[in-house]
This record gives sequence, structure tokens and C-alpha cells, in this order.
Amino acid sequence: MTLRERLGLLFVYATLAAAILIAVFPFWWMFVTSLKQPIDIFSGVALWPQEVTFDNYHRLLRDYHFASFLFNSVVVVTAAVAVSLVLGTLAAYALARFRLRFGVRRMALYAVLLVRMLPGILLVVPLYIVLAQWGLLNTRLGLILIYAGLNTSFVVWMMQSFLEEIPRDIEEAAMVDGDSRLTALRRVVLPLAAPGLIATAIFSVIATYNDFIIALALTSTPVAQTIPVGVSTLIGKIEIQWGPMAAAGVVGALPIVIFALIVQRNFVRGLTLGAVK
Amino acid sequence: MTAATKTIEQRKIKARRVRLAAVPYLLLLPAMLAMAAVSLYPMIDGARASLHKYRYGIDAGYTGVENFRNIYNDAVFWQAVETTIRFILIAVSIETVLGLLLALLVARELRFLGLIRVTLILPMTIAPVVVGVIWRLLYASNIGIIDPLFRLLGLGTPDVLAHPTSAFVGLVAVDVWEWTPLIFLIILAGLESMPQDPLEAARVDGASALQVFFHHKLPLLRPVLLVAVVLRTIDAAGTFDQIFVLTKGGPGTATQLIAIYSYNTAFLFNQYGHAMAMMISLLAFLLLLMVAAVHLMRRSSELLE
Repeated sequence: MTLRERLGLLFVYATLAAAILIAVFPFWWMFVTSLKQPIDIFSGVALWPQEVTFDNYHRLLRDYHFASFLFNSVVVVTAAVAVSLVLGTLAAYALARFRLRFGVRRMALYAVLLVRMLPGILLVVPLYIVLAQWGLLNTRLGLILIYAGLNTSFVVWMMQSFLEEIPRDIEEAAMVDGDSRLTALRRVVLPLAAPGLIATAIFSVIATYNDFIIALALTSTPVAQTIPVGVSTLIGKIEIQWGPMAAAGVVGALPIVIFALIVQRNFVRGLTLGAVK
Repeated sequence: MTAATKTIEQRKIKARRVRLAAVPYLLLLPAMLAMAAVSLYPMIDGARASLHKYRYGIDAGYTGVENFRNIYNDAVFWQAVETTIRFILIAVSIETVLGLLLALLVARELRFLGLIRVTLILPMTIAPVVVGVIWRLLYASNIGIIDPLFRLLGLGTPDVLAHPTSAFVGLVAVDVWEWTPLIFLIILAGLESMPQDPLEAARVDGASALQVFFHHKLPLLRPVLLVAVVLRTIDAAGTFDQIFVLTKGGPGTATQLIAIYSYNTAFLFNQYGHAMAMMISLLAFLLLLMVAAVHLMRRSSELLE
């Protein structure tokens, strides 16, 4: 390696280190604030807590209904993602394996992408009016139905591209051996598509867990409010509880950061809507 | 076999064939219905609501295009439109340049590449609400770190979220922090799947790194770059969560994007019809971009395969 190349590489690493610092430091600041005592929060810049306390987390549970928010999030996300995985995978299978007539395939893929890109703000008012008519405002069921429908678009899109990568010969062989198509799907195709299915499930969980505006508009009490809405309730009009707010942010971010580290490899695909592979 | 049983057999076979032909459509149907129920149906119902007047949240009957006429004459709405466009233009431009530079930097043999990549994209994975919380903590004048940093550099005490201009700049900075990773990711994937031979040939022919970039890499990247910019523009146009947590549109109306204004119109003032008229207008604008995005994605993924 020449000196020039060495310097070039040094520059690359230095720039990347700066970029990583900018990306990660804000997380650290929130984490540190969440571990500080009120008096230390206000005592000037400190990059680590003077005295670690879990009091802020304790207060989230005790004073701010975070046990309910967490429970609601888990129930809503699990149910909505489960329903959308079933509906979406069946539809994806139809798109990936059958020749559909009347341009149905094209129309379906268009619809899927359009639904996926639709910003939540455009849906909340009519959804609010509809849920009010059905008596589903401020219920977990209402949120589950809506998230299941919206997330189905994502599952169809991801799964049809994963399923297309599985060679047809394999399931045709199974069908020659006497399996029906659905048995072949269950016994042969799904196990092969498992990594894709898991990645799709994780992205669905992230997207549903992170959603804010729909839950904000359609729920109003801790009976049905989810974590992101719960986080926003800590920002009062007059006073902000900084410690609990930071702790709430950590609770909101932690599951996602862990998931992100697990599915590293498939990340690009999920986050970019499969715009690139 | 008699003629009668034969036709019955034939009918059975035919019925079976019809059933089999219907299978894929039946597999598709539940998903399509579920999606339509939560998107198409609300959009149609919203279009209806945009033609109705609401008093205290209660439907007070059909008013034709009055809601649209009202938003046309609503100076606050146009201000929100202008703020939104300014926000998109500035944020997405910065994100594109930074994302491109970062991707070019990373697209080489590096140690710890996987870890570097996943760390760089963490900001875009967490809930936008949490992004808001994080920056609220950084910007806070009494407990944050931005103000001490500025003081250290002798630049005064900005108290970012308290002043109209700095609040807007502050929100753009948050968006750049959160979404540069998306553009970075898309471009990086484009770079990694790029054919190396023409680039190598150009280098052998004595082209400088800059020449290789502008004459060879950039044209090859263009479809991917376009996808990234269009996707980001659609998302940025609906930005809500971070602003709701950080400024709620203030101070004054300095950071009031369309999403915030129409949300407030609907849920603070219960003017559903008025709010829907705004959202339908936003949708009309976004639909063009969305259709463009779908076409671009089809083209770029064909190119990338």
C-alpha cells in the first residue's frame, strides 16, 4: 500500500467514525438521561450518569400507565402481524406461482405498492369516522383490524419476491409425489421461504410497533393506547418530565434496535420496500 | 357407460377445472379485500366527507365544493403548503448529497462493513416519535447538549425550538439525521450491484476518479437515485410524528406542515370536511409521485436484477 492509499483509507475511516458518532450519540444521550436523577439531569453536560438510577423507568410503570401501553402494543402488533402474514402470504403465493388473467397480477402489485406508500395522515380522518360508527374507537380490536389490513400490502410485496426465488421444480416434484398444491405450499415451499417469512414478520413488527398517527387519532385512553402514543403523552403543555420521557424513548427504541441487529442481512430489502435487492 | 353418466362425468371434470382455475383468485381475494377496507374505502369515504360540512364534528349535510373553496382562500393552508415544499426541498436535497457521499465512501472493501452499515442506519429504524423525543432532549435549552455545544464554540445560545427560523432548521436537521440512511442504503445497494467492467476500463484508459464518477457511475446510478428521491419525497410530504413531538407546528406556524395543519383541523377543531379537502389535495399531489415511484421501481429493479 502506498502512502497515498494509506492516507485515503485513513480519511475514509475517520469520516465514517464521525458519521457513526453522529448517528449513535443522540441515542446515548437519551439513554444516559434516562438513567439520571432529576437533579443530575439539570446539572450541566455529563456524558454518563453521575449516579445510575432506574427511578425513571419505575415511574413510567407506576405513574404513567406504561404497563398498559406495553401490553396494548404487544397484543395489537402480534395479532395484526399474524393476520397480515397469513392473508399476505396466500396472496403472494397466488401472484408468484399462477398465471393470472385480465391483468390481475399487475393491478394487484400496483395496489399493494400504492397502499404501502399512502401516508397515514391521509387515512386517519375517514378511519376515525368509520370506527366511530362501528363503536371501535379506542379499542385494541379497531387498531388490529386497521394495522392488519395496511400491513398486508407489505407482506404481499415482500413475500412474492421471496417466493419467486424458490424454484418451481421443487414443489412440482412434491405434487407429482401426490401432495395437493396447498400441502406442497405448507410442506415444501414455506420451509424454504422461512428466512424471507421471518424477515417479513420482523419488518412488519417494526412498522406496526412504530406507527404513531393512526393510534394517536383512534385511541384516547390507556385502555388502547400504544407505546408511541404513550411516549407522546409525557410531553405536557407546560412541563416536561425529562427523565421519564427519556426512559420512555428507550423503551420505544430498544426492541427495534435489537431486531435491527438481528436481521442485519435482510435489512436493505425491507427498509427500501424492495426497491433494491 | 351410458351417455347420461358420461355427460355427468364431463360436467364434474369441467366443474373441477373451473374450481382449480379459481384458486389463485380466491387466494388473492382476502388480502385485496383487507387492504381495500382500510385504504380504498376510507379514501372514498373521505372524498365524500370533503364535500360535507361538519359542525362540532357532526355531519351537517352536503355543501358541494365549499370546503375546497375555503382552503383555497385559507392563507394558513397556503403557508403550510409553502412550509411543506420548503421542508421537502431542503431536507431531501441534503439527504441525497450526504447519502450519496456516504455510500461512495462505504462501497469498498472495509473491515466491519456489516456493523458499520447497521449502525449508520439505526436512526431510520426507530419510531419517528422516539426520534422526536431524542431531539427534544438534545435541543432542550436547560438539559440538552446543542446549546452547550454552541456556547463552547462561541456561537451564543440558540435555544433551537424557541425561534421560528431555528426551529425550522432544527426540524430539517432531524429529518436529515433520520432519513439520510435510507438514501445511503438504496444508493449503496445500487453501487454494489453495478457492473465493474466499464468502470475498470475507464480507469485503465486513464480517467480520474472524478471523471469515472461523473461519466460512468452517476449515469448508471440515476434510476436508483430517482427511486430514492421520489420515495423520500412522498414520505417527507406526510411528516407528522417528529413535528408533533418537537414543536407541534410552532413557534407560531413556523413548522406547521400540511400534515400537522390538517390533523389539527380535524382533531382539534373537528372540521372533518375542511381537513379532508386538504388531505384530498395532498393526495392528488402525492398520487402523481406514487405512480412515478412504482414505474421507477419496476425499471430500476429490472436493471438491478
